[in-house]
Amino acid sequence: MNKTGIIFFPAFDWSLGEFHPEREERLLYTQEQIFEEGIMDLPQVRQYSPGVADLFDVLRTQAIFPDLQQHNLDAHLIAVGSSLVLGNALMKKEITNGFALVRPPGHHSGATVWGNRGFCTLNNEAILINVLRAKYGIKKIAVIDTDVHHGDGTQDIFYHDPNVLYISIHQDGRTIFPGTGFTEEKGGPNAWGSVLNIPLLPGVGDEGFLYALENWIMPAVEAFKPDLIINSAGQDNHFTDPLASMNVTARGYGKITEMIKPDLAVLEGGYAIEGALPYINMAIFLALAGEDYSGVVESQKPQNTEIGGDTIRSFLTDLKRTNKAVRPSWVFRKEQFLPAGDWVYSEKSIYYDTDGFKENRKEYIRKCSHCGGTVLMISQKTSAFQKAVLARIPFEACPDCEQAGYDLAETFKKLEKTVLLQNQLRDQVHLWRDGREVNPFGG
Amino acid sequence: MASLIGIDVGGTFTDAVMITNGVIERKGKIPTNQDDILNTIISALDYLQISKAKNIETITVSTTLVTNAIMQKDLPEVELILFPGTGMKLSSLPWPVDYSVLTGVLDYRGRVVVPADQSEWQTLAEKLNKQSVKPLTAIVSKFSHRNNVFEEQLAAYLHREVPGITTALGSQSGQANFYRRSLTTYLNLAATELFQNFAYQLKMAVEARGCRAPIRVLKADGGVLPLAKIRPVESIYSGPAASVLGTLAQSNPEESYVVVDIGGTTTDIGLVLSGSPLISTHGAQIGPFLTNVRSLAVRSVSIGGDSAVCLDQGEVMLAEYRLGPAYCIGGISPTPTDALRYLNLTDYGDLQRAEEALGMLLPENQRTASDLRRTAEIIVEKMVEKIARAIEQLLEEWKTEPAYKVWEVIHHHDDFKFYIQLSGGGAPGLEAALEDRMKLRTVLTEFSEVSNAIGAAMAKPTFSWTLHLDTKFSIYRIEETGEQGIWTGPKKPHREVEDFLKELAQKQAVGLGIETDDLEKEIFDYFPLVENYHTVGQIVKGAMHVPPGVIGRIRS
Repeated sequence: MNKTGIIFFPAFDWSLGEFHPEREERLLYTQEQIFEEGIMDLPQVRQYSPGVADLFDVLRTQAIFPDLQQHNLDAHLIAVGSSLVLGNALMKKEITNGFALVRPPGHHSGATVWGNRGFCTLNNEAILINVLRAKYGIKKIAVIDTDVHHGDGTQDIFYHDPNVLYISIHQDGRTIFPGTGFTEEKGGPNAWGSVLNIPLLPGVGDEGFLYALENWIMPAVEAFKPDLIINSAGQDNHFTDPLASMNVTARGYGKITEMIKPDLAVLEGGYAIEGALPYINMAIFLALAGEDYSGVVESQKPQNTEIGGDTIRSFLTDLKRTNKAVRPSWVFRKEQFLPAGDWVYSEKSIYYDTDGFKENRKEYIRKCSHCGGTVLMISQKTSAFQKAVLARIPFEACPDCEQAGYDLAETFKKLEKTVLLQNQLRDQVHLWRDGREVNPFGG
Repeated sequence: MASLIGIDVGGTFTDAVMITNGVIERKGKIPTNQDDILNTIISALDYLQISKAKNIETITVSTTLVTNAIMQKDLPEVELILFPGTGMKLSSLPWPVDYSVLTGVLDYRGRVVVPADQSEWQTLAEKLNKQSVKPLTAIVSKFSHRNNVFEEQLAAYLHREVPGITTALGSQSGQANFYRRSLTTYLNLAATELFQNFAYQLKMAVEARGCRAPIRVLKADGGVLPLAKIRPVESIYSGPAASVLGTLAQSNPEESYVVVDIGGTTTDIGLVLSGSPLISTHGAQIGPFLTNVRSLAVRSVSIGGDSAVCLDQGEVMLAEYRLGPAYCIGGISPTPTDALRYLNLTDYGDLQRAEEALGMLLPENQRTASDLRRTAEIIVEKMVEKIARAIEQLLEEWKTEPAYKVWEVIHHHDDFKFYIQLSGGGAPGLEAALEDRMKLRTVLTEFSEVSNAIGAAMAKPTFSWTLHLDTKFSIYRIEETGEQGIWTGPKKPHREVEDFLKELAQKQAVGLGIETDDLEKEIFDYFPLVENYHTVGQIVKGAMHVPPGVIGRIRS
């Protein structure tokens, strides 16, 4: 029997707007369902109280621009903090697995943050992962993202990290937000292959998901040999979801959970608040607790045609072939401000759909055969012409990459208004405003 | 001047007090006869000489009648009929009683997804008719607190088909969850006849003594209800509630403290936050039964002044049972009371016998004064340690209560300055040691020995009305009373919901003999129901309480 920890934090007093999918009653019916079922009375279940994340834990993983004080983070800090409570309980062996059933979600929130996008401001799983590494010395973590949307934020945060395997199975980005997550995206120059994207045709149901898990995802996880598995448990692959077009059932989610065997599951999206969430949350929870979830039956029946059988099998076989055939191609740049070494350059434009603005980002990564490589991100919120810089020295950085990080900070604090140094190696963060070092947490 | 009478039936002793105008006029203890709780109470009333008292306002009893009957499995069989619908398997949870299952599915808003199958009902009726002359039947459906349609229809059917049947419905105590509601409905029905007999005879006995005062019963949540209105199962675990209220009646109404009541065999621990007793977020558990009976957050530790002290491989241990009273007052086994007596921390009992008791724990050649003293100190330390751990657990439970709103988490625990309010027989001797261990100021409750009876006498009536309103379906439910009715107000109500609940609470309070002067309102939650980007209604959740507390304060 598993000892399963749960935090249920529905944030009944927080929303992104009256008609917004991410609104107060998103977990109302889930509450009705799980409370009435009496899952908290299962002998192997322990309910934990929500926590509030430390701002240091946020900045270790995400650069909040222009500074923390410009954002209202209360609800987000509780969603993160609750994930951390379960992470700590897991590390103390109080539980064998856990489910952070929390709002708001986080997997669209990336390495640099100017606002809310895809309903996310802070990345619950990413912050959790780096706390587990910094505080408990966990080395290798696999994230399996089963939300219908590509978890572009989580991918962004760990794109250059060879010790975090990020796998996302989702509806094809050409048909849905955020428009990324193609199988060609496989990780940065020092972490090639640590990202696996499986974009699916709209209409895939239980059969296709389970086939992909059994034949592709789980073998990839096994080959990686992670110390921990985290499931970004989005629930919008359900056949009733209003924003997506997949056909997974609640019991399908139960089976998915049973196959993944996550150490921790964190709720992500899922906006069929009546048709899907009460049932999927139950099924995931029961699967984690080692209980029979076959009685979890939605009151609605699937209406759409499911893409399954040979269609999905041959689709996935082709996709796997494509994925294998992708070869890395890097653009090297030499710039005055870059310390010694070979630096790979890329740029991206990130759209913040909640508030309707864009971030343009230039990214330099130090190619390194000893560690994950120091990263430089020069980020600009286009509408406000505000610029800010993130330099990141990775966990287990080699001496050259560590020095490169300090050199970048030294250079940029004279050039740009806002510079954040994430020193994951020494577990420190530093912030400079107008060339002067300031307390990054305000006050 | 009107008097309040309080009787607390304990495991060993029954405490009784008569309080007039805040002054204890009479108090005493008589031995409890566990096999005859009714006569124990009547003897306690006689001890207080109620037949001579002129003006008794109320008599309140805290009784273990139902608790004992449940623990000793001394209740009649109840047929438990469930409509479990879909979801978690029934077998996932441990059911201490048998049940049978019928078809029918409701969802979380009370909508019928799969209707009941009446052909099954006929088979059920035939079975019941064969089994018993007057079957007791508890009917509970999942989500019946949102819609009691299956329960009511089946009950109506069975009343037609099974002569002499008694039914109880889960929706009559309409709180989540299905499992606890089922077991609570079962226990309540099982205990009804026993309790009604007790109530009738107690009333007769009181009247025979020329007393017409209303009789009230203390509940686990620290409230009281009239003898005729209380659901029998709500009378369980009123003892610890009585300790907390007793202390409340003898302390500053604004303060925050831990209540520690050290009895003969158990120590009860409770928490008071700025004058309000902390209510548990879970229902009470009794034996193998998890219930939805609201109770104060209390911890009971199996340790008391009379706990047996024994040797385990040469080490002094405290047992979780008693072997009669302390050796120093004529018992057969060394106890913490003997240790306290030997250390002169109490003057209760014979010093010579206390020394003998401690000697029993040492080899003959090690019975010097310093050895005896050290042994006594170890006993006291161990006892204090057990109590301290339970206090820490309770504080931890309070700090880690679930929270469902941003506001609640951000303002979770304002700084309370706690102290310890200590009562019970063994209390005086442990004051210093407990203060030292917990690093909290420790204060003795004045009328320590009858604190529970004071709590019963001075307890205020309490009640809660929790509203669940779904304006899309125009249905409201009151969880505590099981009332389900039609909402005729607007689809997007605001203030009128609060007025509606307030009016309803005030009307029902009159029937329960409760004054609603201090009706407390919880923050109401309004959830818009959105379909296709239009608000089509609201779900409103809100509650009003008459919170637990005491009438006035004891004057010394």
